[in-house]
Amino acid sequence: MSPLTFNIIRQTTQRSAARRGTLVMSNSGTMNSSSTETNDDSTSASKRAIETPGCFMYSVKGSVPHLTPDTLRLQDFGGVHISMEHLLQDHQPNGFEKWPSQLTISKYLNLQDMIVLCDIRDPSKFVKAPLNSDRFVSMMTHQGVRQLTMEEYLKVVRVYQPDIITTFADNVSDPLEPGQKRIRKSIERSLKWLDLVLAERQGYDAVSHDRALEEAKKKEKKEKKEKRKAESQGNDSDNEQDSAVTTSNIATNDYPAPALGAPEARNAAQTAKPWTNVSVFAHVIGSQIEQERIRSAVETSKRSEVDGFVIDTNIIGGSKDEVFGHLKTSINHLPAEKPRLVYGMQAPEDILRSIAVGADLFDTSYPFQLTEDGKASLYSFGSSATLSPFETQLYHSTSGTNRWINLWDDEHVDKFVPLLEGCECYACKDGRHSRAYIGHLLRTHEMLATVLLMSHNMHQYSKFFACVRESIQDGSFDRHAKEFHDQFGVEPKPTGQLHAAQAAVEASISRRNRLDDEPGKEGSSTTRADSKDASTEGNRKKKPRGSFVNKKELKLEKQKLRQQQAAQKEDQEPTQNA
Amino acid sequence: MKSALTWDVVAKCSTTKGRAAVLNLPHGPVNAPVFMPVGTQGTLKGITPQQVEGLGCQIMLNNTYHLGLRPGQELLDTCGGAHKFQGWNRNLLTDSGGFQMVSLLKLAEITEDGVQFESPHDGSLMLLTPEHSMSLQNSIGADIMMQLDDVVSSLTTGPRVEEAMWRSIRWLDRCIKAHSKPESQNLFAIIQGGLDPELRKKCIEEMVKRDTPGYAIGGLSGGEEKDKFWRVVTLCTDQMPREKPIYCMGVGYAEDLVVCVALGVDMFDCVFPTRTARFGNALTSTGTLGLRQSKFKDDFGPIEEGCDCITCKTYTRSYLHTIVTRETVGCHLVSIHNTSYQLRLMRQIRESIIEDRFPQFIHKFFKDLFKEKSAYPEWAVNALRSVNVDLLKDE
Repeated sequence: MSPLTFNIIRQTTQRSAARRGTLVMSNSGTMNSSSTETNDDSTSASKRAIETPGCFMYSVKGSVPHLTPDTLRLQDFGGVHISMEHLLQDHQPNGFEKWPSQLTISKYLNLQDMIVLCDIRDPSKFVKAPLNSDRFVSMMTHQGVRQLTMEEYLKVVRVYQPDIITTFADNVSDPLEPGQKRIRKSIERSLKWLDLVLAERQGYDAVSHDRALEEAKKKEKKEKKEKRKAESQGNDSDNEQDSAVTTSNIATNDYPAPALGAPEARNAAQTAKPWTNVSVFAHVIGSQIEQERIRSAVETSKRSEVDGFVIDTNIIGGSKDEVFGHLKTSINHLPAEKPRLVYGMQAPEDILRSIAVGADLFDTSYPFQLTEDGKASLYSFGSSATLSPFETQLYHSTSGTNRWINLWDDEHVDKFVPLLEGCECYACKDGRHSRAYIGHLLRTHEMLATVLLMSHNMHQYSKFFACVRESIQDGSFDRHAKEFHDQFGVEPKPTGQLHAAQAAVEASISRRNRLDDEPGKEGSSTTRADSKDASTEGNRKKKPRGSFVNKKELKLEKQKLRQQQAAQKEDQEPTQNA
Repeated sequence: MKSALTWDVVAKCSTTKGRAAVLNLPHGPVNAPVFMPVGTQGTLKGITPQQVEGLGCQIMLNNTYHLGLRPGQELLDTCGGAHKFQGWNRNLLTDSGGFQMVSLLKLAEITEDGVQFESPHDGSLMLLTPEHSMSLQNSIGADIMMQLDDVVSSLTTGPRVEEAMWRSIRWLDRCIKAHSKPESQNLFAIIQGGLDPELRKKCIEEMVKRDTPGYAIGGLSGGEEKDKFWRVVTLCTDQMPREKPIYCMGVGYAEDLVVCVALGVDMFDCVFPTRTARFGNALTSTGTLGLRQSKFKDDFGPIEEGCDCITCKTYTRSYLHTIVTRETVGCHLVSIHNTSYQLRLMRQIRESIIEDRFPQFIHKFFKDLFKEKSAYPEWAVNALRSVNVDLLKDE
């Protein structure tokens, strides 16, 4: 039995399909609560629930960006989303050579008190990846495109033992509307993979069995082909038909639904260790074709062992309205009692619209993106959303929106007020940090800027969701959703350009780096490491991740470390101040 | 001159010149010997003020030159100083900006009047005079402020060194005169004189006459030979008044801290622990770990066994290997560990002095760090021998 339960507490009976629920991970199903673990595990584990509508925290390489474990715990989200493509190095994640048997991904990442969901792709954005095949799905690691096979995926699942995994899916990521044939193929493939994953979870050697079958078929086909060659030309067509029937259990054209539980995947030997403590969320796909979306939703729903569903709207092309239409189509054909996780709906108004069609779970890439842009959230939902005229005037900044302020804007440099008056986040609480200070941190390229902004933006996002849940509970969701729209409009389209002040800072940093690159300045360049953290170009669109490290400094540091370790010689360099 | 501190020596090492003391400053007590982490721009490299406090840090550095450029004096006055600006309720020490004469030399021109800097941000010129430095530091409101000194690289020789020494004395007089809040902020003099013992002695003699609340040894840690470095340090601590705190600027490598405490220094600062953290280097009692090295990817131990920082309590070397230099969280975690390591080292030194087992501590420290006696740096052996600790002999 799956350790995951999803309870719907309240379903709106008005126009929208919004619903309020709780996703809970019970501990009894966890095989890995090993005896070596300390008892703080059991206490923290009691909190393992996500109130829905709610979020998994978006992470990069297993860490919620900018937040150390203590600041992370100030946030009120119950789960974390992990993307395998961030963690895979070469052919497997770090540590797999000697991974201790009782170690789980939750413990490795210090997230034992969270529900950890592990997917393959990054949910925050659309990244075109090369095509998938019967053998693998493609993904973007920091080392470039990598192909993940089912065997590797299952190994990661067995080793990591996350609370929830999403299935291996052939999500067609071509914005230029892939043809119906390709979409159909992707659904067929994904369903087959889903059956394999579900069988593997029960301990069947489904994948190796499937591979053996494939090999046998290939061999058969090859033999027939040779036979055919040897035979006369007249018999050709008959043979082809034969092989079509034997090579595919699922006919390509109007394929019959595979039976519940997909017994053919379970013809395999049941010799592997089951991992029933891991819940499985299945990707529901179908691109832009309604009929195919329905097919995917209906067929996936037939697998009763599936614990929840994922709908990635990042990869659906078309207008917003069209995308919402597709989302709605999928959700309408999913069983009501299971949770639905949606990717690609990030801005608050998109969240509200998705909730209205019945979505339950999202990720926090929106507050992360605001943070990267130097913005601080002001929006709110429900009765607290009404701003006084003074506040409206205060908040209505040059950025032309009242949903956030941009701390790069000059108007904040002398504002010794919190990001948002009355906010209880780490940055704002007790007037601890002002807009002026955070603007200063941005301008001096100091990493605390994003720490504080992330704390604030994440806090506001979770508060938004809490108010949404409350409104579903008391039946005011539809009304408040409309008010939200009236009050805060829609997210301004990203320009893709850096804020002028940010561009100036980055240009100045790169100018200083150029100064340092001149010969004879080595000594001083290392002393200035603290104030010149990045080697970025002036007008680049996006700040590269990890920009706090500059290659030349890295080289110097490497040299120094070598020297130090080799002889611990007295090669002290100027380190006073900075 | 007036002083806003008290200096209570708690214990003296019976072998070396080391001492344990409490330095009482306007924003609370500081246990000395002390290492002061450097938050140049009013922040300690991604670590929140609460986290810094949680590490047991009682005093942090800011930089006058940098804060003077951004946010600038006017805003510092508006918000009531750097403590309020950065949400830090414990002590602050500000360097005068003199060091930037060396580090930003290309951008600086030195005259009797002061130092002319070219802003690296917009190319505008800023003249930093002793008066301006004091005025800025009064606006910042640091508990300890440093005089503007004429810093020359410790590799410089010839008349420029002597010129800088005399100018530093003249600038000290101007600083004292310009300092508007001696009752709430302590001005420290900075001893100059390069590597020349006679110049150092002369400088100390003159500066002690000015009777500032504390003294700093400046102009070192500029790439000079370590054998010369320690001789200047010990000469200064011998000549300086023992009833006041002594601060050695820019020193932060663990072995340097241990040796300098034995030579009688009470206060240190260095960007090294946080800077090296950003490159994925973690400090431990057995040496530096370059966490980027692939050997750590399968290492499921903490950075240092027994360390009580949140990094060591929660993450393995394997995971840190995955994120250092790639994720800001990786930087924060290693910075937290390294700062925690430095502060713990100073606490251990202090405790060993109080319990009068500092020489034993020194022996163990060098054994842990260098393993073999043959690997002990010669300068450290010599320096410690001068204060009656022979590292090469068994305890």
